[in-house]
Order: sequence, then C-alpha cells, then structure tokens
Amino acid sequence: MATYDFIFDGLGLRGWCGEKTGGTMGMEELLARNSGETRSLWELPFPSLDNLHDACPAIAQTRGLTSGLESGFLGIKDALKVVVDPITQPLSWFLSGALSIFQTVPWFVMIPILLGIVYIASKSTRLVGMVASFILFLAFIDHYDYAMQTLAIIFVCSLICVLLGVPIGIAMSRSDGLQRGVIPVLDMLQTLPPFVYLIPLIFLFSVTEPKLYGIAIILYAIVPVIRLTDLGIRLVDTDVIEAADAYGMTDRQKLYGVQIPLALPNIMAGVNQTIMMSLAMVVIASLVSAPGLGVLVLRGIRNLELGVGLISGLGIVLLAIILDRVTKAALARVNTAQQ
Amino acid sequence: MMKRSIYALALSGAMLPMAANAECGEVSVAEMNWTSGGIITGVTAFLLEQGYGCDVTVVPSATTTAITSLAENNEPDVVPELWVNSAPAYFDLAEEGKVVKASDSFSDGGTEHWLVPAYLVEEHPELATIEGVLDNPELVGARFHNCPDGWGCRIVNDSLKEAFDLEGNGIEVFNHGSGETLAGAMASAYENQEPYFGYYWGPTAPLGKYDMVSVDLGPYKEDVHACNQNTECNEVGVSAFPSADVFNVVTSDFADREPEAFELVQNVSFSNDQMNSLLAWHSNNQASIDEAVVHYLQNNEDQWMSWLSEEAQANLEGMF
Repeated sequence: MATYDFIFDGLGLRGWCGEKTGGTMGMEELLARNSGETRSLWELPFPSLDNLHDACPAIAQTRGLTSGLESGFLGIKDALKVVVDPITQPLSWFLSGALSIFQTVPWFVMIPILLGIVYIASKSTRLVGMVASFILFLAFIDHYDYAMQTLAIIFVCSLICVLLGVPIGIAMSRSDGLQRGVIPVLDMLQTLPPFVYLIPLIFLFSVTEPKLYGIAIILYAIVPVIRLTDLGIRLVDTDVIEAADAYGMTDRQKLYGVQIPLALPNIMAGVNQTIMMSLAMVVIASLVSAPGLGVLVLRGIRNLELGVGLISGLGIVLLAIILDRVTKAALARVNTAQQ
Repeated sequence: MMKRSIYALALSGAMLPMAANAECGEVSVAEMNWTSGGIITGVTAFLLEQGYGCDVTVVPSATTTAITSLAENNEPDVVPELWVNSAPAYFDLAEEGKVVKASDSFSDGGTEHWLVPAYLVEEHPELATIEGVLDNPELVGARFHNCPDGWGCRIVNDSLKEAFDLEGNGIEVFNHGSGETLAGAMASAYENQEPYFGYYWGPTAPLGKYDMVSVDLGPYKEDVHACNQNTECNEVGVSAFPSADVFNVVTSDFADREPEAFELVQNVSFSNDQMNSLLAWHSNNQASIDEAVVHYLQNNEDQWMSWLSEEAQANLEGMF
C-alpha cells in the first residue's frame, strides 16, 4: 500500500489511475514490505512524482521527465546539428591550425618569438629572463611539445573569448535589460559541470573535432572578460561622460574615445582572468581529447605515477605564472600610460 | 530464584537475534562508478546486511581510488569488480599479502573487443573479421576509436594497431581523452546509424544497450599478447584479447576478521550473460541501480541462496 492512496481513493480517481502493472521496486520498498511495519507520520515521504506514482500509476515517474528530455534532445539533434555545426566549424580550423603552427615551428625559432612578444608586452628584461628560464626548464625536462600544445589551445581560446566577450560586455553595459538577461547565463556557465553539456555535444559533432574542447574552454573562460568589460564601462565617471556630451561627441566617439580607454584597466584584468581560467580547464579539456599537459596529468592520475602528475601539474603552473605575469605587466603599462 | 531465572530467560531470549548479528561487525564495501559494479556491490551489501547482520557502509569509488585506498589505508574491506589489468598495483598488494582475491566477478571473466555495430555487419558481413575491416576502411568510417592514455587497453591497442598496420590500411586512430567520450562516440554513432569501429569492454551498460559485433581478431596467443601488453617489448604481433581478470577483492584483514562474510564474498560471481541481461533490463526500464539489485534478488533466489551459509539462509528465508 502506498502512502498517498487515500488522496486518489478520496477523490474517486481510482478508476482513472488504473492498475499497477509490474514496474520496478527499490531496496527501501523491499525492506519496508518485509518488515511489515507501517510508517509513522514522522517518516511521511514528500508527495513527489515517484511517491504519487506508487499510489496512482497514471501519474508519470520522475524518470519520465529525464527520458523525455533525452528523447526530446535526440529528436531535435539533427535540426540542431545543421545550425550549430557550421557556426562552430571555424573554431576547429583555428585550433588545428594553431596546434600545427606551434608544433612545426622549431624550438630555436619559437622560443625567441615568444620572448620577443613578452618583451613587447612588458618592456621588462627581468620578466623576459624569468619566462626564458621557465620555458627552457620545461624544454629541458622534455615537456616542451606538451607545453606548446597547451599554449596553442589557450592562445586560440583566449583570443576568441576576448573577441566575443568584449563586445558582449559593451552591449551589456549599455542596456540594463540585456545585463539582467545575461548575468544568470554567465552564472550558469561558471557552475554547470562541463561534462553535462559536453556529452550531448558529442551527439552533435564528431568527438574527433577539436572544437569540442574549444567550446568547453570558451564557455567557461569567457565569463570574466564579459563581466569586467561591463563593469569597467559602467564605472567610467559620469562627469567625464557629461564632458564628452558637452563636446558634442557622438555615441561611437564616446565609446572608442572615452569609455573603452578608461575601462581598459578593468578589461585587461578580465583578459588576465580569462587566460587563467582557460588554463584551469586544460585538464578537463583533455578528458575530451585535448592534447597537451592535461593528458600527462590524466596519465599520472590513472596509473598512480605521482611524479608524472606532479611534474605536468607544475608545468601548467609555470605556464600560468608566465601568462599571468606577462598580462599583468601589460596591464601595469596601460595603467601608467593613463596616469 | 524462580523470578530471576525467568528474567534471565527473557533477557537471553531478547539477546538471541542480536547475538547472531554481533558475529559480524562493520564492513565497508566499495561501489564502482559504473552500473555492473553498482549491482554487484548492491547485492553483496544486501546479503551481508540482511543475511549476516553486518553493519555495511557503501563507499562510492573507482578503480584507481579504490586501489590507492587499499594500499594506503587498508580500506574498504570489500572491493567488488576490480579490473586488475587497469590497476597493476593490485599485484604488488596481493604479493605483500594485504589483499586477497575472493572470487571472479564474472564467471567468464571480463571481455575486451574491437567492435563494429550490428547494422553494419548485416549490410557487409565481411566486417565481422579484421581482414574485412582492413580491406574496407571506408565502411567503418576509416577511424578506430582507441582507449584513453593511461588505460591498460591503450598499450595493447597501440601494439595491435602496429601489428595490423591500421594507419597503413587507411584507418586513422583516434585517442580518446576519457571513457565518457569513448562511450559517447559509440552511442552517438549508433543513434545516427553511422559507421563506427572502436574498442569497448564488457559486461558494461553500453554493450548491454547497443547491439555491437566483436570483430574477429584471430586466435589468442599468450606470449604475443604478453608482449603487446608490455611497453618495453617491441615484437608486437597479432593476438585476440583473452578474457580479462575481474576480481572481487577483500583485504586480508577482513578475511581474518569476518570469516563467514568472507565465505559469502568468495561465492559472489555472475555469469556474463546474466550480467548483460541485467544491464539491458536496467537501461530498458530506466531503472536505478537500486532497483536493478532488487530485480536480481527477486528473480534469482536460488542462485544467491546457494552462496549463503545455513544461518544466513534462515535469516533470508521467506523474504521474497
């Protein structure tokens, strides 16, 4: 006898409910049936779908909801594929292009180029020295190729994050309605476990496409640059905007000439965070077949080769320090240029 | 005097069922994070609890975490469905005498396959053998879905890949990053009825759900397979997979402490067909693992009754 029988008997709905046919039984129910004790009021179960289903088979079980979602997804899958597949295709090209460039350029060309970029961004010889020692250390312990693969992925994903995130942030800063709509989405992107949407994505694209991990990284890492761009532009002093208005600046002139330059420190902080977060996704991305240091970390974990895991983890940390220091140095230069 | 003896009788009467329970203390059982592992754990835990009166704690676990915990903490007491090939540390622990194999989880052992979907084989029967696949790579999508890095099967597959010269025959080898995407790729291909060729093992939920055909890789040769399994060995060759060792493992400490419960675990073993049909029932009914355990207990009373001691049989008599 189910707990909520009385509702359906009382309402005279027994006929509508129909007879229980077979069905499944859980361990709790089995033990309860065997002990023969009736439940006290203290143990009253919540009238959930499953508990109501026990009393009245016409009511669907919760698993009906999940299987409905599943079959719904499988139903619209083909239509979704036609739209999503071509849109995301460039991401695959960028990723495989960047991976092959970073790997085919020989180390004695690649390392000076990277150091040159560091110098241009930071104008600090000390930082160049530090970056050089880190990269040479990674190369010395035979982690150069893996580090370059990771760097290539981070490079492409961060760039796309900035290209998409800054305009979204600007749009958000100009419309309160848009901001109210986008913020919950950003919250969701930061908390939704990546595998929840990655496995459905496998049904849409081939698992062998690099864009699969690209999407995972971008969806997670794009959040800070959007948030901080929005915040930075909203924080621009209203007096300055008034002055700009007084000069008769158009909206476009105000945006490019006043708001973005003044918001730049915040935007750069967002870019820095975006890079850090895409690096944080490297291991998860390796679970969906991304190459790089994440693969080594996973191998270390799976085989209990603690040393392999630690060294490759350290490699990721070194990359993170390099990227963080370089973007911070660039940020500091932006700040001093403004003052 | 009379009064006191009645009192004592009443007391001893009340103590009796507890005395039976007191023989078995606390037992921790690992639960692997896949369906068949959950079912074996569920059945074992139920029998220990209801039959032997043990105080069972089920610990969610996975292969690597379970073996690490066994090595470092000597816990959990019982680890069902341990694929020892993927947990080489097991052999060291067994040698040290820290853990004991209680039984084979599956009477025929675990199975490993290179698979193509049944709908492809119906159309092109030649795909049931590796020669047919190598001659017609385009029919299977010209791609082999390989194990993730760090898995035992990855080493064997990489050796077989060379032995069959997959790439020379126009089959690209794709190395997956995790078991989830490997299963996802198979499921996605099956739902779309697309060509597919890849590795998977059984008894598992995906193989219970999808109708896949194991490609005939030729006979199993022990020494060749041993070489294929060893990264140091370069003389790779062609050999099918032997049945894999899948053990229900207990700690030696548990075997000494709870001899009766240990005897039960030694009997827990499922045939592969039985496990496959249980897994198929589980996915067809969208059931929880818990419900699959009850389904098994209800329909296979003779089997699990035969695993129990007489005392435990008496405890469970008439429950179903």
